[in-house]
Amino acid sequence: MALLGRAALIVALGLLAYAALAGALAAFRGRRRLAESARNALVAALGATAVASLVLLGALAAKDFTFTYVAEHTSRELPLGYTLAAFWSGQEGSLLLWLLILLGLGVSAVLLNGRLTRDVLPWVVPILAGVATFFAVLLVFVATPFATQAAPLDGLGLNPSLQNPYMLAHPPLLYLGYVGLTVPFAFAMAALASRRTDERWIVATRRWTLAAWAFLGIAILVGAKWAYEEVGWGGWYAWDPVENAALMPWLVATAYLHSVMVQEKKDMLRVWNAILVAGAFVLSLFGTFLTRSGILSSIHSFTQSSIGPWFLGFITLVIAASTALILWRLPLLRSRTRLESLVSREAAFLYNNLFLIAFALTILWGVLYPIVSEAVRGVTVTVGAPYYDFFAIAFGLPIVLLMGLGPLIAWRRASLRALGASVLWPALAALVAGVGLLALGAGSSRAGLIGYTFAAFVLAAIVHEFARGTRARRATGSATWLGAFTSLVGRNRRRYGGYVVHAAIVLLLVGAVGIGGFSSSRETRLEPGESVTVAGYTLTLLGSDQRRAANSQELRARLAVERDGERLGTISPGKNRYFAEEQTSNEVAIRSDPLRGEDLFVIADQFRGQTVFLQVIVNPLVNLIWLAGLVFLAGSLVTLWPDAREQQRLARRFAERDSALARA
Amino acid sequence: MIESLALALGAALAVACVLLAARPFLREPGSASDRLREPGPLERERVRVEEERDRALGALKELEFDHRTGKVSDADYRDAVGPLRRQAADALSRLDGMMRPTMSMPPEEPRVPEPWPPPDEGDLPDPAPTPAPGEPTPGPNDPGSPQHPPMPQTGGPRTL
Repeated sequence: MALLGRAALIVALGLLAYAALAGALAAFRGRRRLAESARNALVAALGATAVASLVLLGALAAKDFTFTYVAEHTSRELPLGYTLAAFWSGQEGSLLLWLLILLGLGVSAVLLNGRLTRDVLPWVVPILAGVATFFAVLLVFVATPFATQAAPLDGLGLNPSLQNPYMLAHPPLLYLGYVGLTVPFAFAMAALASRRTDERWIVATRRWTLAAWAFLGIAILVGAKWAYEEVGWGGWYAWDPVENAALMPWLVATAYLHSVMVQEKKDMLRVWNAILVAGAFVLSLFGTFLTRSGILSSIHSFTQSSIGPWFLGFITLVIAASTALILWRLPLLRSRTRLESLVSREAAFLYNNLFLIAFALTILWGVLYPIVSEAVRGVTVTVGAPYYDFFAIAFGLPIVLLMGLGPLIAWRRASLRALGASVLWPALAALVAGVGLLALGAGSSRAGLIGYTFAAFVLAAIVHEFARGTRARRATGSATWLGAFTSLVGRNRRRYGGYVVHAAIVLLLVGAVGIGGFSSSRETRLEPGESVTVAGYTLTLLGSDQRRAANSQELRARLAVERDGERLGTISPGKNRYFAEEQTSNEVAIRSDPLRGEDLFVIADQFRGQTVFLQVIVNPLVNLIWLAGLVFLAGSLVTLWPDAREQQRLARRFAERDSALARA
Repeated sequence: MIESLALALGAALAVACVLLAARPFLREPGSASDRLREPGPLERERVRVEEERDRALGALKELEFDHRTGKVSDADYRDAVGPLRRQAADALSRLDGMMRPTMSMPPEEPRVPEPWPPPDEGDLPDPAPTPAPGEPTPGPNDPGSPQHPPMPQTGGPRTL
């Protein structure tokens, strides 16, 4: 069936090339049937890509080792879940997943926005098809998943690091985020090309952008959870280049989601928003390039390949084309309004944008510098955590402060007296929290203390906003407080969903500061019966066990855990030796305390006879990071939930327009 | 055997895809109207003014809500509400002007004016800001006054 997979990809490539060329011609010349034909070709390409994906999935499920890809990424003993997940474990499968998601999202966006952006769609189709053509070319000519061979007796298996439940979800979520950013890019560039720079492309892509941004955010956290459990160094984020590659487009998309509100409400920052949309898309391509090109050494990069130059060429082309388009349409993008006051909501958004972009650029430089250094000077350098930590604090703290201040400031302008009245209660709450934490001994980490004080300010500001909004609604007719609250959120989901997301970022900050500033660690060796105590936990080695699992040999140290004299059970850190892969992985043991939010994290570094070399870490508040993921998801869902009121408003506007056109 | 089946399936897929792409031409082989709808300058201007109208009305609602919650002081409210109302009125007036040529067409079924924007945060009653000591009390015809006549609604003839 590899032949069918290859044929489907060739058909998809032909259709996409046609959709790109014929679509561009149709949009340029104003040919209706040709534009419809290009759109249909895009839909057909989705079908062909789906067929190719099904062929690969079928080969994986059947463990058909005549497929080189299947033989290189699975083995006979690999459990079915990981076998199917091998679809995105290798480069060729990942590229196929990219193409499939891109076409799925692109076709959905085109079909669902047919009425809202009718004038823009003829340009959207060739842009989406152009991006998809690039991936189809790679899949047909450079990295095909359908190469065949004489079937070996067994496959090479899957990298043990990838044999983790979080890795089943992380790559598809990440790709939904990366690829999802193509949709706003395509609509923005199409709006520029078609000279329809009104707000319709923003309305049409708002939910797509929010969804892509939410997927990317969740993917980063799921990846962090994977790294925390699987890589096993006791941390959750290591400023690894591949981690940074996902963080950069997320930061830029975050900036865009804020600044686009300024465009919607004040008709400002139009050029800036076009740049941010293009920047987020380019960074998503750059992230894929970093992960898949093998250009850098990373715990997250599982590929050495030759697709790097192709990606670099395509990224250069996208940057050049989008820059040229923005410059060409600059006269259309000039704002008609100006910032009225430096103390206003839109000014706060502008400051937040500057810090977010500055942070993204410093991360970009940290990622690029080693590559540039090696290419230009032939010197291998590493940009370590201190560089990133410095800028995370320098830019992160102002961003957090603005997260609290922004919602308290009115649009257009706010007098200092009104601002002072709004800020008073949150500031008092922050002060009380800061003094209380200092008294409790949290001053050992100055950055941590400042971070917690700022976090208290933001949380208090959010609670204040919800409280006075609910009170205002209650005063105007809501029968109950609950009714007033739901009415408040339901009538402005973006604003209040955004506040929930802000609360998630605060939780993340509290957890990150907890693990970064207040964790305890100790390395030791234990004989059976010996104990070690770290941050109130006492661990006693009971012995070591071995057992055979489905595709590995497991070696575990059994440790009894006590805290303050209370027995908490046993934990078993150890190692797995994978047969087919011929690799060994560290399997950490984690005991979470949901009430305290802390983890006891134990790594068994070495086994020598009955002696075990252990690293014991206590990570306070780390569970708030994972809780932040759930809150982030909840906030994102609130913002994404369809707003019937807005749909009515748009429907009314189109009815007016259609009626006017019919009369004309 | 499997290879032949794969080839046949591949060929069928290619034919189906080509037919789908060619469908607009097969369905309308000699269509007289093959032009994409191109909005004229008037429609573009109308879209722009509609956005101005929506932006001004949305800003008014936001201002009302922020005032009600105490985020905007009475003085700030009075300073901001007048220009916003004038912007909205100006946009509505220009929209009226654009629609007027079409009004000479045979009368349509009268449309029931719907409230715009729909009830939102701004459907709160017009607040009556308390003037600070020493500040003049706005008169009923002051555009910044809460007693200013309500904005006309879109959807039907209006007089400003």
